Amino acid sequence: MAVRILLVDDHPIVRQGLRTLLEGRSGWEVVGEASDGIEALDKIETLHPDIVVLDVTMPRMNGLEACRLIQKRQMGAGLEVLFVTQHDSPQMMREALDAGARGYVVKSNAARDLLEAVEAVSQHRVFTALAQIPHAAC
Amino acid sequence: MKVRILLADDHEIVRRGLCALLQKHEGWEICGEASDGREAVEMAKQLKPDVVIVDIGMPYLNGLDTTRQLLQHDPNFKVIVLTITDSDQVIREALDAGARGFVLKSDAARDLVAAVEALQSKRMFFTPRVNDLVLAGFLEKGHAISRNAPPDLPTLTAREREVTQLLAEGKSSKEVAVLLNLSTKTVETHRSNIMRKLSLHSIRDLVVYAIKNNIIQIQMPQLRGTQETTVA
Repeated sequence: MAVRILLVDDHPIVRQGLRTLLEGRSGWEVVGEASDGIEALDKIETLHPDIVVLDVTMPRMNGLEACRLIQKRQMGAGLEVLFVTQHDSPQMMREALDAGARGYVVKSNAARDLLEAVEAVSQHRVFTALAQIPHAAC
Repeated sequence: MKVRILLADDHEIVRRGLCALLQKHEGWEICGEASDGREAVEMAKQLKPDVVIVDIGMPYLNGLDTTRQLLQHDPNFKVIVLTITDSDQVIREALDAGARGFVLKSDAARDLVAAVEALQSKRMFFTPRVNDLVLAGFLEKGHAISRNAPPDLPTLTAREREVTQLLAEGKSSKEVAVLLNLSTKTVETHRSNIMRKLSLHSIRDLVVYAIKNNIIQIQMPQLRGTQETTVA
C-alpha cells in the first residue's frame, strides 16, 4: 500500500518542489497540501496521511504548535511528522523532536536528505539531519 | 524562439518548484541553475539568458549584489528579484540595483509567470506592495520613500560589499582570498578599509552592519511560545 504524504508549507513554490521530489518515488503518494498548521490539522482528519511533511514557520499556526496538537489529540494511528525547515539549529531540532516529530531535515539540504528521511520515518525510525552535522537514522 | 531563464536560489527544493512552475509555460526553458550569487553571475555571462531570477538571500553573494554585478556586466540583463520580505528598504535597494521585477517568494506561484511575461514585453513587474510604495512616494514627492531610508552611509565598492558579506558569513581573510582569487594581503586591506569607512571595530559590528543593510539575511530561531522573526 502506498505511503500517503501530506505537504505543509506556506510557500506554494516549496510545496511544488517537495512534490516534484517525492512523486518520483514509487510507493509514495502525495495526497494533499496545506499552507499552515490549522489547514494541516483539518486535512489530516480528512485525508488520513501516513506522514506529514511540516514546515516550522507558517502563518496562523506554526509547525511546532501543529505537531504538539497532533500528538495531544492522538491524530491518525501511526501518523508520523517530518519537519522540513530552514532552521539549521540543534535547539530547533530538539524542540521539534520534543513536540513529537520523528524526523528533521533542513530545507537547504532537502533535495539530498528528504527521500532518506521519508523512508526512515515511514518505518517509524528517527531521522535527523542538520546542514553541517552528519545525519542519523536509528 | 525560446525564452531562456536562469534560476539562482540556494535551496534546491525551491529551484525544483520554480522549474516545475516555469517549464509548464510553453516556449520557456530553464537554461541553468545557480546555488549562489557568484555562480549566477558566472553562469549568466556564459549562458546569456533572457531572464535571470535571483533570490535575495544567497550565500557568497546576495541577490542584490548579484543584480548589480549582472547589470554592470551587461545593462541588458533582465533580472527578477525573489524575496521573502517586502520591507521598504529591500524594495528600494532592489530598485536601485536595477531589478525589473520584484516578486515575493510566498506569491511566486501566482506572480512569477506574470513577471517573466512582463519582462519579455519590455515592461516591469512588481508585487503590489512595491506599486503602493512607489505611488506613495510619487504622491508625497519622494518623502514616503525617503522617510524610511537608512541614514547616509559611506559607500562601499562592489568588491568591498562582497568581502563584507563573506566576512559576515564567518569566513576568514584567507578563505575570502581563495574565494575571490585575491591575495590574503589584499583582503586584509579591503577589510581595514571597510572597517574604517564604516567606523566599525569588530567582526561582530560588521555582522550587525551586514544584517541591517541586507547584505546577509538571517532567521532567528523560534522559541516555544514566541513569534518567529525574520531579520532582513
